[in-house]
Amino acid sequence: MADQFDLESLVTLEQTFYDQGYEDGHAHGRIHGLIEGRALGREKGFEMWEELGFYQGFATMWRSIYIAQNRQDERALHHIKHLLDLISQFPKVNPSTAPTTTVEIGGATTEVDIEKLFRQIRSRYKALCSTLGVRPSLRAADGSAIAAEELAASSTAAPSGGVRRTGGGDDSGMAAISMGVDVEMGGDGSAAGTAGPPKIWSLDSM
Amino acid sequence: MDSPWEESAEENTARDAEWTKISSEFTNAGYREGITAGKEGALQEGFDAGFAQVGAPIGHQLGFLRGLASGLNSYLKSAKPQGGADDNERLVAEIRQITSNLSDIRFSDIMPPDLEAEEHARQHLVQEGEAMDESEEIAEKKNVERIEDMFASLSAGANPDRLTRPTTQDLHRLSQQLKSICTRLNFNIETWEH
Repeated sequence: MADQFDLESLVTLEQTFYDQGYEDGHAHGRIHGLIEGRALGREKGFEMWEELGFYQGFATMWRSIYIAQNRQDERALHHIKHLLDLISQFPKVNPSTAPTTTVEIGGATTEVDIEKLFRQIRSRYKALCSTLGVRPSLRAADGSAIAAEELAASSTAAPSGGVRRTGGGDDSGMAAISMGVDVEMGGDGSAAGTAGPPKIWSLDSM
Repeated sequence: MDSPWEESAEENTARDAEWTKISSEFTNAGYREGITAGKEGALQEGFDAGFAQVGAPIGHQLGFLRGLASGLNSYLKSAKPQGGADDNERLVAEIRQITSNLSDIRFSDIMPPDLEAEEHARQHLVQEGEAMDESEEIAEKKNVERIEDMFASLSAGANPDRLTRPTTQDLHRLSQQLKSICTRLNFNIETWEH
């Protein structure tokens, strides 16, 4: 009787220690999850919206030029209007977890819509460029690539035909970006950059 | 002199040590499980916050200015000079400079610090004497930027400006420059802030 009592209390105690450890660990892990998640989310949000903002700025500038000069090129203005309209539909919160985006955009699933929307925006931008006779700027996540592109573009005269780049090259870039979105924004936390055992915390030093 | 208590005291010590070992084993096991669960449960929440509160708005603003500059640049190259040819050339050079300066700005130059992350990293440093790990993606990006800085400093003889990183003030100044050019040309951009 006494033995049984001891055993039970021992098991309970072990559980108590485990629970105590778990609780402390969970609180610490949460801090790290938030920090790492924020860092990744900042990068991704910047990357996506830097690109979208670029198209928006480009279209906005040309629209103001057309208005100032009272030019009536319907094709260019049509592209500008649609491009700005598409960008205004793009969510400013993480598209994969915001439930409202599905409603706003309407369609099957949110992620597919975001990809589709991004693709539409890119091709609309390219269409606008070719109508304007301007070489489209390749948007890359990395600022230095943009710098190189801009400098290259500014040091050579713009070809009158405009679009030099083939669609294929850009599309692969698109695929890479949207895949990144899937991986990092997926609701499944395990996919969000934590493959393998976490190495952030060292237990022995706690 | 032998006390009957002595042996018992030793036994107690041994038992205490064993007890401490068991308790810390279970505590550590719980801690390990808890930290993983806590991290994974919070990653998405952190991601969404960083995306919506910092990354998207700052990216939008910088991208917008870059787009305006790019649009203006492409217009000036295609347009017939309105004023004198000299005026136009000066304007093209000015826009090119703005474009180049805007391109030099990195996200890391203009994003606000994550104070909570910095504070937590400090705690790790104080308690363990080692820095907090970063995600591989971020660490790699910082490495690339470090290498870029090294190259910039090697070729800095020609351009000492490259040694100091741009700031939000520089971004603001570039925005003002663009604004005044647009005003001069009568191009009305309705919204500058995004």
